[in-house]
Amino acid sequence: MASDSIKLYALVYVALVGLATSKFVFFEFDQFFTYEQAFAGTMGAAALKGALIVGYYQHLKWENRSLTYLMAVALAFALLLMAAATYSIT
Amino acid sequence: MSELPPKTSLRRWFVTTNHKDVGILYTITALFFLIMGGMLALLIRFQLWEPGAQFLSEIAYNEAVTTHGLVMVFWFLSPFGFGFANYFVPLQIGADDLAFPRLNALSYWMYALSGILLGISYFQGGTLSTGWTMYAPLNVPMYTPSLGSTGAILALAMFVIGITASTINFLTTIHHSRAEGMGLMDMPLFTWSILATVYMMLFAFAALLAVALILLSDRILGSIYFSATEGGALLWGHLFWFFGHPEVYIVFFPALGVMLELFQSFSGNRLVGRKWVIIAICLISIQSFLVWTHHMFLTTINLEVKTLMMATSIGISLPFDLVVFSLIYTLIKGRIKFTTPFLFAFGALLLFIVGGITGVFLGAIVLDYEFRGTYWVVAHFHYVMFGGATALFGGIYYWFPKMSGKMYDEFLGKVHFVIFFIGFNAVYFSMFLAWETPRRVFEYDPAFQPMHQFGTIGAVVLGLSFFIMFYNFAKSYVSGPDAPDNPWEYTRTAEWAVSSPPPLENWGGRPSYASGKLEFVSEALTPSDDHDGPAAATDGGHGEGHGDDHIESYPYWDKHASHASIWPFALSLATGIFFFGLSGVSSSIDITTADTLFGTGITVSNPVYPVFTALGLLGIIWTAVKWGLEDFYAPPMEIAERWPFEGVEKVKLGMWFFLASDVIVFGAFISAAVFIRVAAGWYTWEPLTDSLPGLINTFVLLTSSFTVILALVYARRKSRKGLIAYLSATILLGLTFLSIKMWEWHHEIYDVGVTLTQNSHGDPVQATIYYVTTGLHGLHVVIGLLIAGFLLVRAWNGAYQEDPRPVEYFGLYWHFVDIVWVILFPLFYLF
Repeated sequence: MASDSIKLYALVYVALVGLATSKFVFFEFDQFFTYEQAFAGTMGAAALKGALIVGYYQHLKWENRSLTYLMAVALAFALLLMAAATYSIT
Repeated sequence: MSELPPKTSLRRWFVTTNHKDVGILYTITALFFLIMGGMLALLIRFQLWEPGAQFLSEIAYNEAVTTHGLVMVFWFLSPFGFGFANYFVPLQIGADDLAFPRLNALSYWMYALSGILLGISYFQGGTLSTGWTMYAPLNVPMYTPSLGSTGAILALAMFVIGITASTINFLTTIHHSRAEGMGLMDMPLFTWSILATVYMMLFAFAALLAVALILLSDRILGSIYFSATEGGALLWGHLFWFFGHPEVYIVFFPALGVMLELFQSFSGNRLVGRKWVIIAICLISIQSFLVWTHHMFLTTINLEVKTLMMATSIGISLPFDLVVFSLIYTLIKGRIKFTTPFLFAFGALLLFIVGGITGVFLGAIVLDYEFRGTYWVVAHFHYVMFGGATALFGGIYYWFPKMSGKMYDEFLGKVHFVIFFIGFNAVYFSMFLAWETPRRVFEYDPAFQPMHQFGTIGAVVLGLSFFIMFYNFAKSYVSGPDAPDNPWEYTRTAEWAVSSPPPLENWGGRPSYASGKLEFVSEALTPSDDHDGPAAATDGGHGEGHGDDHIESYPYWDKHASHASIWPFALSLATGIFFFGLSGVSSSIDITTADTLFGTGITVSNPVYPVFTALGLLGIIWTAVKWGLEDFYAPPMEIAERWPFEGVEKVKLGMWFFLASDVIVFGAFISAAVFIRVAAGWYTWEPLTDSLPGLINTFVLLTSSFTVILALVYARRKSRKGLIAYLSATILLGLTFLSIKMWEWHHEIYDVGVTLTQNSHGDPVQATIYYVTTGLHGLHVVIGLLIAGFLLVRAWNGAYQEDPRPVEYFGLYWHFVDIVWVILFPLFYLF
């Protein structure tokens, strides 16, 4: 059963806002980060944000684990298409 | 909700949502498209009677080749198999109907009307003439400028929308509505083949939808994805074949399922190695997504990827070998009855073996260099795809008695098979013998002329054989003997345990396999064994039914199941009108740009297409609202096997399947963006826009996700005020997002000069990618706002206090749109 705690959802929201801001910071303060570091940090933050939204706001954390596997397979196929297609022209 | 009229009423067939009616509609419509595709095939064969354009003009030949391929692959083969799937999967698993009956009817009407759109495209200045693979850059308006070309691609997009709905429906049904005691491994093999098929369809057709949308953007909006020199043509190859190779198995698997059923029924023997066949089917389904670049061996992609996918392509033949040997050993161990259905199924196996072996050549890079672009490929894929469909003709003979209540003429059936089999091999084996003929063109070495003439005679024989089938079925339906419930001696599946044809509600009691064989339980929630089914049984499945959707949890539990709704047809018709209008809207409107938005001039040269577009759009919104308001009840099975999705409510499960499909749609768009940027040189691009508007929009969408979850919390707490307040906040935030986006686009276009095809910073295709990808996301936001508006009005009138689940389903969608933006923001504003 998914949570009905507004406090929990508010905490997740605060974390999401913080992570969104961090992505901006990575690229705005480029004297501290190389492009590659900023890229990696941004993608890491994006992945974390996605996981928080899908886990808490879409309640996947409380759902049958098979739904997680279903979405993981979809994501894996999308990444496979991107990786193989892009690598094929390098 | 309206009552379901009798079968003699024409109105019934427009309003029915019953799976058996829809199955019959699919079957008849698919056979119509078989005739259409077959006639186009005969035109092609007549052209090949001698080298050169003797019969058809050059462009007419190209159109015939293209439409023949599209019709046979999309509008005949899969829908023919899904006619049986509609009719028999619910019966085989003990369900009352598909999970979403109206969605099922919608899928059918989208399919049927999309086929009509394809036919209309011939009258819009000529239809598509690229070949069914629609390779870039031939598919862009510069090379195929007719409105009909756009119309054909819109027809395909409409077909894919319908088939996506069907996919979600079957996945949800099979995972949510299996009778008590029927585990996944206990399912009949036809249902297993359909389950594997719809899993492949879920991911593969999403890629096709994405690539079709991108192409339509190029053709209607004027974007430049596939004409871009930064890998545009290769991008098409990757996106299309990521769909295209699984499509081979999507087409073949329903036929394989029929083959597996028929080999058991007419050998009197359980399938040898049944468990391993199911494992092989699962392996093939996964492997089908790992081989697509073997269709691109002749392109400039690197040798590493080619070699890797050569290995995976050769590897996919291994599980197929297992399936073939299982079928052969099943016959060896059984006592064969040479009925018409069996002859077609056995013939299909022989043809598929030829198709499979000749396909291995094409999976090897060096051999493919020789064979690609020749009639070897044409012969191979006809042996695989049409050879597989041969089993489907066995299926229609097998199930005709159940569907019609009449027996067919066995002698005529066997005559049909003999002529069919001779004609088939005459036309397609002659292609192997003349394999050096270049495919897609009508010029060939005159030395091959006798072989092509032999093939053309074979095609005529093949075509004529179907007249015997149509005559046989028509005569039998009118005056044939009544079919018993089970006309076959040895069957294993539940459709033979009910009358021929089955009653509207399928079952007299609740089907249960809890004891290992089919029983009908008369009291709703109390199992008993008051009536045994005649022959159907699982292969040893025992288990407790799972009551995740207990009937008490539904506020409408005392209502009867609905079987009729006009809105699936109406919504499909509106979509067809909208898509027809879109096919000509860009050529009917001339937009003159200026320095400001208000200075932009719009001249309408032909009002027909814009009017159709507007009417269609209004129709879509109106019919969707009527759909949402309709009192239609599709009861969930309160006791059912749901592994591996126990505890997930029916609509929620359907929504997750939809989101999985949408992951691939956006994944394909994002893949396209990354691919073209790498082709152009990753570091040569700077973000087109300032990051601040993107960041503000990120905060806006995140906040809207928070308000949606609060709306759900307050709905669960039965707080009408809270629900209304937070739904309203979500809508306001969504509108804010769109406003910022519009300001940003206005700024880019009128202040910076970056348009869909112009980019003062660098490559024009970068602007195309930015506008189209963020535009698709924006479209998702607009659709979400329309749904939110609908929910708000309903909430205002007191809805969702007792049943807040629609708010949760909307939230799942809205959060997904938010997650997509989480990726798009860095991709377009930071990197």
